[in-house]
Amino acid sequence: MDQGYVLLALIVLPMITAAVLVVVPSERKDIVRALAVTVSAVLFALSLYVFVDYETTDQQFSFAKSWAWLDNVGVLKDGITLHLGVDGIAATMLLLNGIVTLAGTLISLKIEHKNKDFFILFFLLTAGVFGTFSSLDLFFFFFFYELAVLPMYLLIAIWGSSSRFPTFVRTKEYGALKLMMMLVAASVPIFLGIFAIFIEAGEGTFSLPRLYEISQNGGFDTDFQKLVFPLFVLGAGCLAGLWPFHTWSPDGHVAAPTAVSMLHAGVLMKLGAFGILRLGIQLLPEGAEFWMPALVVLAVINILYGAISAMAQTDFKYVIGYSSVSHMGYVLLGLATLDPVGVNGAALQMFSHGVMTALMFAMVGVVYDQAHTRELGAFGGLASKLPLFATFFLIAGLTSVGLPGTSGFVAEFNVFVGTFRTYPWAGALAILGAGITAVYMFRLFALSFFGGFNLSRWGGLKDMNRYEMAGGALLIVFILFMGLWPDPFVDRISPTVVNFLPGIE
Amino acid sequence: MVDMEQAWLIPAIPAVAFVVLAFLNGYLPRRGDFIAIGAIAAAFILFFAVAIDLLDQLPGELEHNTSGFDWLTINGIQLLGQTNDFVLRIGFRVDQLTLVMLAVVTFVGLMVQVYSLGYMKGEVRYGWYYAVLSLFLASMLTLVLADNFLLLYIVWEGVGICSFLLIGHYFERRSAAEAAKKAFVTTRLGDVALLIGIILLWREAGTFDMSEIFHMAEAGEFDQGYLTMATLFLFGGAAGKSAQFPFHVWLPDAMEGPTPVSALIHAATMVVAGVYLVARVMPLFEASYDGALYVVLAVGLITTFISAFMGLVMTDIKRVVAYSTLNSLGLMMVALGFGEAGVGPAMLYLFSHAFFKALLFLACGSVIHATEKQEVTALGGLGRKMPITSATFAVGALAMAGLVPLSGFFAKDEILVAAEHFSYAPFILILATLPITAMYMVRVYLLTFSGEPKDAHAHEHAHESPPLMSWPLVLLAGLAAVAGFVVFEPIGKAIGLESGFLGFVESVLVEEVHAFEFNWPIAIVSSLLVGGGLGAGVMIWGGEAAPATAAAARFPAVHRLLLNKFYVDAFYQWAINNVVLGFAKVIAFFDRAVINDTGVNGSGEVTNGLGFLLKFQQTGKLPNYALAMILGVAVLAIVGFSVKG
Amino acid sequence: METAAEQIPLEHFLFAAGVLFSIGVYGVLSRRNAVLILMSVELMLNAVAVNFVAFAVYTDGALFRGLIFAVFVIIIAAAEVGLALGIILRVFRNRATANVDEVSQLKW
Repeated sequence: MDQGYVLLALIVLPMITAAVLVVVPSERKDIVRALAVTVSAVLFALSLYVFVDYETTDQQFSFAKSWAWLDNVGVLKDGITLHLGVDGIAATMLLLNGIVTLAGTLISLKIEHKNKDFFILFFLLTAGVFGTFSSLDLFFFFFFYELAVLPMYLLIAIWGSSSRFPTFVRTKEYGALKLMMMLVAASVPIFLGIFAIFIEAGEGTFSLPRLYEISQNGGFDTDFQKLVFPLFVLGAGCLAGLWPFHTWSPDGHVAAPTAVSMLHAGVLMKLGAFGILRLGIQLLPEGAEFWMPALVVLAVINILYGAISAMAQTDFKYVIGYSSVSHMGYVLLGLATLDPVGVNGAALQMFSHGVMTALMFAMVGVVYDQAHTRELGAFGGLASKLPLFATFFLIAGLTSVGLPGTSGFVAEFNVFVGTFRTYPWAGALAILGAGITAVYMFRLFALSFFGGFNLSRWGGLKDMNRYEMAGGALLIVFILFMGLWPDPFVDRISPTVVNFLPGIE
Repeated sequence: MVDMEQAWLIPAIPAVAFVVLAFLNGYLPRRGDFIAIGAIAAAFILFFAVAIDLLDQLPGELEHNTSGFDWLTINGIQLLGQTNDFVLRIGFRVDQLTLVMLAVVTFVGLMVQVYSLGYMKGEVRYGWYYAVLSLFLASMLTLVLADNFLLLYIVWEGVGICSFLLIGHYFERRSAAEAAKKAFVTTRLGDVALLIGIILLWREAGTFDMSEIFHMAEAGEFDQGYLTMATLFLFGGAAGKSAQFPFHVWLPDAMEGPTPVSALIHAATMVVAGVYLVARVMPLFEASYDGALYVVLAVGLITTFISAFMGLVMTDIKRVVAYSTLNSLGLMMVALGFGEAGVGPAMLYLFSHAFFKALLFLACGSVIHATEKQEVTALGGLGRKMPITSATFAVGALAMAGLVPLSGFFAKDEILVAAEHFSYAPFILILATLPITAMYMVRVYLLTFSGEPKDAHAHEHAHESPPLMSWPLVLLAGLAAVAGFVVFEPIGKAIGLESGFLGFVESVLVEEVHAFEFNWPIAIVSSLLVGGGLGAGVMIWGGEAAPATAAAARFPAVHRLLLNKFYVDAFYQWAINNVVLGFAKVIAFFDRAVINDTGVNGSGEVTNGLGFLLKFQQTGKLPNYALAMILGVAVLAIVGFSVKG
Repeated sequence: METAAEQIPLEHFLFAAGVLFSIGVYGVLSRRNAVLILMSVELMLNAVAVNFVAFAVYTDGALFRGLIFAVFVIIIAAAEVGLALGIILRVFRNRATANVDEVSQLKW
């Protein structure tokens, strides 16, 4: 069978599932669950197949296949085609989404409230993410990009949770609204940029491979590139949590239900970085070279600012939310170096952070759903009562600290090396950021996991159920896999990176 | 026959033991402790095979002493003007320094694991304890075998996390949790520097391989200022791991861990990793500006001095021993501060220190096991009840003090000889610490093992430890007594070290090694000082310890200063609470109030406000709308025509 | 025999349609009775339809594009009248007036 259908299946299958779920009676929660798990497992298997079977060839994109959607209308000489295909980075990202979707589904099986509607939206979201990573057509890239953002509002506003602090309140509706507004606003510059490219290329095509060719043949002059590149960085950067457009991320993640936090911090934020890569660096290399020093500064601010903010948080999820801001800083920093090692590191970090942060949110969900509080100070000694849970969380935390043997180290190390080659001062600050990460992570461990256990208050807490364990274990397997044997990932990412980076022969 | 090319097996065996124990300890008989012990025993035996191979090849260039594989490759990057591959390698290499470290780690590791059979019996998470101990040994052995900086860094972090897990073994205790956190975070700050240093070196050298970098440094291919900076960053990592001032605060707190852990990790092996690193990268220090070595020297001296004084007043026996460890680590750093000449003495000190310090900790553990007390105010008079522990502790304490002819004497004397060659200032300063060291070692011995029992109940229940615990004590005591003799050429030759221990170590750095000569004047002076210290200690703390109480009453300010550890811990705590956390809170507030509430919500409110102003356009009167529409069309038409026309 | 198109120039049709349209505009702006406004709108639509037909005949007589659009306009006008009259009737029922100035509930 033609391999191209695999990518189509990744997009269409969740959509069909969402449609099928619509007709499942909502009181049959068991059918909904069975269907959700089955489909997620199939999606995971398909994405794993794409990753395993991806081979580096002289072709830029594997699994490529296209379907005409709109023919020959006016200025659109090529029409609009649904053109799918992956390069090494996209294949890795598809795998990431497959993993997080399956883990998120397993974690969400415990949802009782309107679980049918939850999974409908969840699968639409997944379809959007798969679509964005595999689209080779600007029109569908944007379409899926938006599709991935929109279900988020309902998912957060209906199944989310509000946080109360002594001096202020963050309701889930606020978090959902802010996330939605900022991301939709951010897609405006992307939209502008896409049309600027479309018009400047002058061939009436949205096809990315064709546009890359035009770009390589000097179709976009330097001034144009300098003008348009910031649009992509601002738009996609907002989704990637770029400072100072990051505030939707902690509030949104905190308000979101567990699986949505996982998918959002784990995969959706990577869409932003992926957008910068696909649209910005690949299409507009000269613009990238011109603007990257500015992005380096912002990325370093991201790293340190996120880490320092995380130190002051008193809520589990806010710590993780800000740590996501900090870790996305490494991704942005790696991209901004425009150095093969650095960009490799950025791609690795996209995967690593995705899996790691998903694991963390999953684990927080385990406790929150039972305790209904996320106050760091409210717990203590969780490790003695919930040893497995504590071990999983510890592994996630150590990955975030960048401990060797976990994926975090491989990724961050490459980012550091790449940064040192180009901007040594930024590299030094980035490593300092990793040091600060240790401070807040270990503060969290010491406060909540160690010390005496409050038996009278938390005696009823149970360790993970078997689905949560399966989801967590799946994520851990990939953390360790990448940490101990990074070669399969690098084999796929590095030729792709060399392919498009400016100034590399 | 196993030779140096198979040296990777030495860490691999405990690593496998870790994997087995981590997952299966609940299903194995005795929670699998025998697997951990079998693994380290196998590693210990392999060490001999490797040692024989290495010694066979000496003197001369070592061959076939490396092994490993490429772990990660990124193709085709531009580096130093040419296209290269970026390769991360897991590589192992055996040489003289490695061999010394292997001896120490495998032997002490074996002793501690056997000892733990008795000490940890019936404790919580027994199987997990052995699993982490195996992981630690695997990491530590890899650390000493690593042939490149990257692998070194990887396992450097690995031993750090094992240390964290083991200090926090009794994590239900709040103090243990805090100590574990403190240890990890403090050393992690050093690791930040180490990683920066490693990448800085890579940036200029294009490789992580140590020997290649050393060759380049010796050939002067680095800019000297740049090299100095990179080397000092490396030293930052070493200082963190070896608990040098200003990172020293974590080590005494690390005593919250089980005592065998303190013996293995916080005395004999992990904390000397920093010393090993500095010794290893000595070619870089030599090629840097002189200032780099002065920094090492100064840091070492400060550590030695403050720790010696603090050891005088501490009441927890493990803490006293911990301060003596700081004292020793400082001395080793001082020796390394003398440059190439100091590597031999430093490694000799490291070698003998491993035995007597592990011994001291294990003996402390024996006391704690018997009495469940570790404050000297609750101990005393244990000498008769626990003869083996008492005698072996005495050997360890005297070796630490540096009494002739125990191992500590030779080690410390060689450092003094090197110091005297270098300059008189450090020489005199080291001499000054000798009597203090002797005094506090005597103090802790007397308060614990002689005099009247201060806690009758604890004393009554005290008993000698089981053989599983006392045999390691005896073996270590034997080595602590005689290990120093390896400096003599005939004895060195007998165990295969051609020109004695110092020459053996030195041969890794230089072609021509010095012949060993015993320096009588220094030996006599130092022995007098040590003897004086011991005598003073007996006078002060023998019997009622009245002079000590009197001194404390006479100089309350000094006493308080020492008890509070020169207020360094307090200062750090203050800085963390007020400066670091305060700053974090300011940033978090800024994020909420300025970026979010002003920037994000503000732009929302501006939009809202504009909407409020514009809504008055909606009069609700149809003719208004119609007029607006028609005017709009008219304007568009006019614009259109004028543009076209 | 000259056709009508040759006898009467296009401008005449355009002028007539313009006048019609302007009357409609004036009506929409000046009238207050909803039914009269609706009638004025019809005038404007018819002016447009006249334009369509005229252009169709004068420019591409073979293609009928303009004629088709004129039919569209008529159909839409009819639909619109149906809808609008329905609304006006409802308003009149509720408020006993068809004066649009008094029906301003939808203001800010």
